Amino acid sequence: MNKPIIELENISFSYPDSNIKILDKLNFKVFKNDKIGIIAPNGSGKTTLFYTIMGLCKPFSGNIKILGKLVKTEKDFSFVRSKIGLMFQDADDQLFSPTVLDDVAFGPLNLGYSNIDACDIAKKILYDLGLEEFENSITHRLSGGQKRLVAFASVLAMKPSILLLDEPTAGLDTNAKEKIEKILMNLDISYIVISHEFNFINKITNKTVSMENGKIFKDDEVHIHQHEHIHKLGKLPHKHV
Amino acid sequence: MHISEGILSGEVMAAGAVFTIIGVTLGLRKIDYNRIVHVAIIASAFFVASLIHVNIGPSSVHLICNGIIGLLLGWAAFPAIFAALLLQAFFFQYGGITGLGVNTVIMAVPALLCYYIFSPFIKKDSKLSFFASFIGGAFATFCSAVLFASSLWFTEKKFFGIAITIIAAHIPVMIIEGFVTGFCILFLLKVYPEIFYQKNDSLQKN
Amino acid sequence: MFDEILAHKNSIIHELDPRTRIISSLILSFAAALSDKFLILGIYFLISLALIYMASIDFFYIIKRLKPVFLFLLMIWIILPLTFQDKMFLKIPFFSFSKFLTLSIPGLELCAKITLKSITIVLIFVSLVATMTFASIGNGLHKLFVSDKMVFLILMTYRYISVIEHEYKKLLRAAKFRGFKPRTNLHSYRTYAYIAGMLFVRASNRAKRVYQAMVCRGFNGKFYTLDTFDSSKLSLIFIFIIFAITFFLVLIEAWI
Repeated sequence: MNKPIIELENISFSYPDSNIKILDKLNFKVFKNDKIGIIAPNGSGKTTLFYTIMGLCKPFSGNIKILGKLVKTEKDFSFVRSKIGLMFQDADDQLFSPTVLDDVAFGPLNLGYSNIDACDIAKKILYDLGLEEFENSITHRLSGGQKRLVAFASVLAMKPSILLLDEPTAGLDTNAKEKIEKILMNLDISYIVISHEFNFINKITNKTVSMENGKIFKDDEVHIHQHEHIHKLGKLPHKHV
Repeated sequence: MHISEGILSGEVMAAGAVFTIIGVTLGLRKIDYNRIVHVAIIASAFFVASLIHVNIGPSSVHLICNGIIGLLLGWAAFPAIFAALLLQAFFFQYGGITGLGVNTVIMAVPALLCYYIFSPFIKKDSKLSFFASFIGGAFATFCSAVLFASSLWFTEKKFFGIAITIIAAHIPVMIIEGFVTGFCILFLLKVYPEIFYQKNDSLQKN
Repeated sequence: MFDEILAHKNSIIHELDPRTRIISSLILSFAAALSDKFLILGIYFLISLALIYMASIDFFYIIKRLKPVFLFLLMIWIILPLTFQDKMFLKIPFFSFSKFLTLSIPGLELCAKITLKSITIVLIFVSLVATMTFASIGNGLHKLFVSDKMVFLILMTYRYISVIEHEYKKLLRAAKFRGFKPRTNLHSYRTYAYIAGMLFVRASNRAKRVYQAMVCRGFNGKFYTLDTFDSSKLSLIFIFIIFAITFFLVLIEAWI
């Protein structure tokens, strides 16, 4: 039988000084080849869910199993972090090194690769994502879209077996969005994507779920629906993306 | 408060360099690995805050904020201030290399004093907080001015006149720093008290 | 503001490795700062001008950038000759009775020396150090045995200055849109204090997320740096010349 890569059992979590349960006896399984989209309102605990998987938030009850192994301690999670790549909402949080190459090589160096190997890995990833021209760029001078792509590269450089993407397209223009879509569609690893954009989620995932009251709801069926909308120049033939 | 290059004597420069090396080394030793990012980015904020100009009559002065940095970082203020000053030299050509040591001491020692003397009085729900941080901010500026003046005086006894002028010129700055530090600390106590005692909770919260 | 334009040029100085440039500027700056003879100071000044020329930096640009230095020197020129109680050079009647404004010769001499020194030292810094990207400075410092932690701290501070500055501009703009006009009053000081406070809050929150992102990429308390440069022949020759010149000048100064 296919074993889940990530298995969360009865996870509950709330922040200190707060009674609101962000995650409430949550159960969630992710299998190989799953490409899951999470669409849920702000504040429903999506980001907390990701942080729990990565061990950044410690739940007060429940079990987390990654690749069939129960993880609890900080040491267990350092193994998890080498297998799961989390891409943060704000690329500025992730890119802290002065140059792009430094930043992409940071992960591989931590995994114990030598300077030369880490550099090679970083260069290859940048090349694969079409970012080779930015290799020596100063990170904080990149545009929003470029930063996001470099952050993506820095996560992929860890060669994760599964990716967690927190609103990867928020605030990007169509061009940058398409690039991210393309990269995701060509990936052969599983991923979970948080997004508010239905079209994006539809294109790149094969399962969608929602979150409410600290729990996950499956919603795999496609519902055809229509709605009217207005905007200027609406008379002209046009498309929505 | 920046001493320009080329004024100080060799002895004063050497003393500044030695104190800075000691302070920075001790400061770095007190920073855990999970806190170094915090110190660094607070140092960025310190750099930016010192770009803020406030009006004073027809003129304006920039904020110093070394009192605030002292209260927020303790010993870590030393390396943080050193980093910020190095970056100022780099970006604005305020100075070169020879003054870096003395200038770090001028800013960081008062920050440290402010931390030791005033942080015991700064607590949430304490009426003393505003008062203590007002005095702390003014005191830090005063100490900086005194250190500035005395490094001139140690260089050349005949700089006495200029040294006194510098201290006098900083009296209005002390008052402004006092108010800004007072309000700022009060604000931080209200909206984000964790900023004062972040030791082991960097992984706990979102 | 944080543009590092000087770093993106091609010149002989830009070919030198960061370590060489940091050491050379240290040697030259301290030698100039410790010198006390006009002749020698003049030579250091010429060297600094030569370095600016070699780094192909525009002289007008540099004069603009030196404004803070000039302002400070102006203050020195105004105060020092008046407060330096020594050999009188000139007596200027002041307040018609009793008091005289005096200018002293040693005071003026000292002013001239300070002016020469401070411009020289800043020019050395600009030509040799400010012509690197900050990333290479970090690299150079690391090769010069500055501790990993310090290098990391400096680079991190550098990295987030522009992010925090952006947030400062947003906060100030928002305040101005709501009618905030800076004046000399308590309300203005409080507003600025809150803005500064907000910057520290955001800095701290940002730090938390950055640290989490680092942990997610396997950070475990060890810093690695990709030191990418090697010492070239040119760098070795350059540093040798700088050493030789300084040594020679120090000898001459001791001689005369």
